[in-house]
Amino acid sequence: MSTEAWKELESSLNTLPGSVSDAYEESKVSMSEIFSDDELLLWGKEGLAIGTQTVRSWEAAIEYFNVSAMVVKSLAFPSFMQWARCGTHLSQDAPSLASAFFSVSPSIVTNLRPQYIPRWVGLGRGLYKGTWKSGNLASKFFECSPELVRNLPFWDVEIFASLLESISGKSYEVAADCLDLGTTVLPAMGREREVFLSMLRSLTDTSWREVKSCLEIVPKVAKDVEDMQIGRFLKLGEKLAKSGMKDTSRFMADGTQALSGVQPNTHGKILDLCETLVEVEYDAVQPFLKSLETVLAGITIIQLDQWFQTGLNLIKENKEAGLAFFKIESNTSESVLKTLSSSIDLDVIKGIVTLYCTALTGQDIEISNSQELVDKGIGWVDESWASTDGTQVFLPAVVDQYDDKQSNFSWFKVIATHQVGRLEFGSFEFEFDTEAKVFTNRRVDAEKAQAEKLTKLGQPDEVGNVRTYTDIGKFLNLFDETKLAFDIFTVMEDCRLDYLIKTLYPGIKASTKQVQEDAILKRPEITELPLKEAMIELLIRFSLDQFNDLKVPEEYEDVVITLANLVHTLGNSESTVEDSAEATIRAYELISKVINETKPEEEWKDEDLEDQLEDFDEDEFESLVEKMQQSLEMSGEDGEGDPYDSPSPVEYRGDFKPEMVQLISKLQNDASEPGENQPLSQEELEQLLQETDELELDAEQGEIDAGMFAAWVENIMKEAGMPPPEGEPGDGQSPVLSSAEEEGELEAQEPKTYAYDEWDFRAGDYKPRWCIVKEKTLEEGEQSFYTEALNNYSGLLAHIKRQFELIMPETWRKTYRLVDGEDIDLNAAIEAISDLRMGVPPEDKIYWRRNKVERDVAAVFLLDMSASTAEAIDEGRQNSDDTDAPDDPVEYMVWLRRRREGLTRRNYKRIIDLEKESAALIIQAIESIGDQYGIYGFSGYGRENVEFYVIKDIDEPFNDKIKRRIDKITPLHATRMGASIRHAITKLENKDATTKIMFLISDGRPQDRGYSREGVEKEYAVHDTHQALIEARRKNIIPFCLTVDKAGHDYLKEMCGDMGYEVLDNIWSLPERLPMVYRNLTK
Amino acid sequence: MVDGTRSEPKEYAIEEFLIKEKPYYKPVGDEEDLFNAAYNQHIPLLLKGPTGCGKTRFVEYMAWKLGRPMTVVKKNGAQSKANEAQKQIPLVTIACHEDLTASDLVGRYLLDAEGTKWIDGPMTRAVKNGAILYLDEVVEARKDTTVLIHPLTDHRRVLPVEKTGTIIEADDRFLLCISYNPHYQSALKDIKQSTRQRFISVEFDYPPVDVEAEIVFQESGCTEDEAMSLARLGEKIRHLRDSGLQEGASTRLLIYAGRLIKEGITARRACQVAIVWTLTDEPELQRSIEEVVSSIFE
Repeated sequence: MSTEAWKELESSLNTLPGSVSDAYEESKVSMSEIFSDDELLLWGKEGLAIGTQTVRSWEAAIEYFNVSAMVVKSLAFPSFMQWARCGTHLSQDAPSLASAFFSVSPSIVTNLRPQYIPRWVGLGRGLYKGTWKSGNLASKFFECSPELVRNLPFWDVEIFASLLESISGKSYEVAADCLDLGTTVLPAMGREREVFLSMLRSLTDTSWREVKSCLEIVPKVAKDVEDMQIGRFLKLGEKLAKSGMKDTSRFMADGTQALSGVQPNTHGKILDLCETLVEVEYDAVQPFLKSLETVLAGITIIQLDQWFQTGLNLIKENKEAGLAFFKIESNTSESVLKTLSSSIDLDVIKGIVTLYCTALTGQDIEISNSQELVDKGIGWVDESWASTDGTQVFLPAVVDQYDDKQSNFSWFKVIATHQVGRLEFGSFEFEFDTEAKVFTNRRVDAEKAQAEKLTKLGQPDEVGNVRTYTDIGKFLNLFDETKLAFDIFTVMEDCRLDYLIKTLYPGIKASTKQVQEDAILKRPEITELPLKEAMIELLIRFSLDQFNDLKVPEEYEDVVITLANLVHTLGNSESTVEDSAEATIRAYELISKVINETKPEEEWKDEDLEDQLEDFDEDEFESLVEKMQQSLEMSGEDGEGDPYDSPSPVEYRGDFKPEMVQLISKLQNDASEPGENQPLSQEELEQLLQETDELELDAEQGEIDAGMFAAWVENIMKEAGMPPPEGEPGDGQSPVLSSAEEEGELEAQEPKTYAYDEWDFRAGDYKPRWCIVKEKTLEEGEQSFYTEALNNYSGLLAHIKRQFELIMPETWRKTYRLVDGEDIDLNAAIEAISDLRMGVPPEDKIYWRRNKVERDVAAVFLLDMSASTAEAIDEGRQNSDDTDAPDDPVEYMVWLRRRREGLTRRNYKRIIDLEKESAALIIQAIESIGDQYGIYGFSGYGRENVEFYVIKDIDEPFNDKIKRRIDKITPLHATRMGASIRHAITKLENKDATTKIMFLISDGRPQDRGYSREGVEKEYAVHDTHQALIEARRKNIIPFCLTVDKAGHDYLKEMCGDMGYEVLDNIWSLPERLPMVYRNLTK
Repeated sequence: MVDGTRSEPKEYAIEEFLIKEKPYYKPVGDEEDLFNAAYNQHIPLLLKGPTGCGKTRFVEYMAWKLGRPMTVVKKNGAQSKANEAQKQIPLVTIACHEDLTASDLVGRYLLDAEGTKWIDGPMTRAVKNGAILYLDEVVEARKDTTVLIHPLTDHRRVLPVEKTGTIIEADDRFLLCISYNPHYQSALKDIKQSTRQRFISVEFDYPPVDVEAEIVFQESGCTEDEAMSLARLGEKIRHLRDSGLQEGASTRLLIYAGRLIKEGITARRACQVAIVWTLTDEPELQRSIEEVVSSIFE
């Protein structure tokens, strides 16, 4: 201890302005308590060194002394001196810098590790370039440092500082502004900060001015862009900045603006597109984002893809065109948008259309995409057309006929109504022997005539046999030219439907009219057609309600007028499908006698028939037929004409295949009721298909080869549910429908087995008796598990029991002051009497009653015993225990011992173990309040083997056996939840309880072998389970699903719908959570 | 009232309420004969059917009809015209609900200036006065009230009143008639077999289209075409009963729509407010029904 040294120090200090030594003296008092004398001396000397660096550095020295006492609390002596020396260096550079450094130090050293201090000071010094302005910036950096250091990791601070440094090379003002902004903005950012900083980094190279604007804009980004996507958005910005885009901030601002204008859940999708675009042409990203709001106002996010692709292809070929496209400054862009925005997707309106059709027909109509019907491979081929096969209505996937949505929807409605009309007005219910309502019966005569003719030709009734399998076929068989007859029948039937729809649904009359008019515009020119086809075309025009402005061949004017009258007469609200058939016979009689040849222009005349329409007259018709027959015979040999071609169909009417529909439904009937009718053999079916005109129409491109027929036949038989044709294994004709599922119902034969239906979401119907549930009582194991579980959870158990016991009194409360009750409430009665004495009207509520809301609960717990429950629960808990090791030595010992015990007893815990423990706890809890309950486990493999294990049957009283059974709960096979739930429902259903609850405790989604056809098992399983839960609810059972699968949110929402479910984030909370949820549910 | 004088609200004692005007009722099947027969034979009736299909109206109609002089066969001719009202059969209607207690029906002691006083409940009054007692939506009532009607509905035809310690014999004209809606009956609210099997059951459903059209036409005063369209709409909507709708559109709702149309509300709007929005809150279902409405009505 040298007093010399002290004296020298103090006298030197005295040479500095007086306030320095004041500060020194003041500080020394507290410093001396911490530092040894030697250290204290060094401390003082450093202060002197600081004060003497430059002329004004004494100010820094004062700060040094002032803050020392505070700084020393966080730093040990060596670090402290290191810190002080940093200050000395700073004051050498600029005293003001050192002052700033010292003054913020107390608040910074608490947050910054000592070894970082020099680096931090280095950052500040880096900013100082010897000028006054740079000094200001550096001081400012120090001032902001505590804020930055407290909230950012140090390396981020470093990046930020280096960023500032490069900006300060250009402008100190901007750098200072950035510093301010950064201090407020950066700490608020999460993990996107890194991306953001790296984006800023790349900006300083290209356009440094943007940094500030970006800092300004980024809080808005964080607010408006979907959280998960912020990082990607910023990365995109960085990419753009790197590729040389000048105004990144504009991009950020516009982009944010654009994204804020659309649904947050679409941000990811949009950024996907942006990322694609940035690879192709980065200039287009900004226009794209800018247009986004306008674009998405018209179209859906799914359609956006289509629009975007068009633009992308365009920009690859021609940049300017592409840019204009994304700016929506090109016709292509607008027209694509228009088509997309006005088009109607079947998927979007499917629900509405389904209900609409169901309402109209009263049948359970399924609406499907036409493509599906084509895929069935049973004769329908055009996927863009509407059709129906009798139970389903097939509609085109997209309608974009018109420029506005309303018209497109109307169109959809017209075609849907038309198809449904076939069902509602019985197009497929044609019966050969049923009398028509409007026309007289000519079918019988025609049948006789045909039979005679065949006999004459020497082939009596042979060919007709197969064809007459269906009524429609029998009818069409009356004609020589069946194709012509079928075309006429189609027109007639469609005409009848249109008439009925217009009369019975006046509301869509206008739309139907519009659609008909549009259809007329698309019809071919009549005069160009050969006469037979022209006649059909005229029929179509009539059916479309066009009776005026027609071209009519002069030679057959009377035929045309008769046909017009025929169509006019068919338009009657009484007319049935048999009337269409009768009309067909009449029209055929006439048209078949017309020679199919083209006529020159001058032999056609204009005709308006609308005002001359009259009812069809049978006598006139007959004389006309006579006349034509004669002229036909007179014209003699050349009366053949061109071969007849079917007319181009009317689009909105879709495909009409009555014979196929009747065929399939008849085959189905025959297949399900064997014995009555001999179903067709495959050969017969094949022959039939070859004869029918409905398939011929579709195979215009070429000859139908035999293989195609075989495939059709097979598919149709499958559709009809007939056994597949025997033999011919591997003949190469693979059916279009795959037969992955084993078909057939199951029967519960053994005792304690039960058959349950299963829901097929694709068919929208149950598969009858599809699953066999085998109920078994679980074997007994050791009782120790049960007691051990209770011991382990003794604390929790006490808590749960208390909670449960609290429920009881709530149910036996007396209610006072009632108008009526068990007995007189004395208090109220006395009050009433005294009121009476006083002449005041008495209160009449003078009774009490015991509240008779008895607790009446029956519950069933279903435990998942699938193989996956054997999974060890991840060691997360153990790890967290490591870090949570208590500081207190006594506690630590306890903790350690407990851990060791745990480790020796069981190395890991499985999900099933927790399920078992939960079962033990819930038993204790429920026993305390006396609800009825059952505990079951379920597993199984395949639908014929759903295992249902009884741990405690709902009627069984609680006993030691049950305790032992719990031990035997083990992971087994798969999970077919639906069937198990249904069995549990049966158990609960028989219980007479006010509240019925079904708990499902699982560790994952339902899955089982052969749940359904490949590809849809997951959906199938989820849908079936959902349906089972709905069944439960219909039976007044409250279902509740508790899952420990963290991915459970994905499918549980779909599976449970609005029914209760909970996903446990922490598996360990299961034993605690289960009783609590139960309590809340039954309260 | 046009003349400015306020008409007094009409108030009747519950057992004196008579159906004076002939209520409009269009029989669909043989329900009228069945009711007559059951009335003559003192067999209580259980009317089943969905809401708004005419159960209550039917009971009113029958009460009126049975009250006509020609059906009063047991009264001797000496009774004068002044007693006309006596011959008529009062109708006591009670809408059942969960809190309906036995004493709400039978009667209770009330306090007055002198002490307690017994007041007959509506059921007691109906029994004493020989009214038709109509318990609407009987499944809603508490179980103890349904047991009350047991002695009334078998050969005894008596009403024991516990609190007063008396037994009341039912008047000869007394008839018990209950109704319930099997559609929203749940397992919990089913009628007990012991109760059920004291009644003959008449099932009601919405009438066929043409009959319903006539009813709507008669009741609402809209045109026949409109009535027909409404009836057809009703039929279409009922097709949706299994597809999300709990109940089909009742005849009552169709009549409401018809009345609105008569008042000049456009048909589509009338159907929207009277039918679509009343039936369901589910947007997709609403939209679907609206599409049906817009197809049927211009």
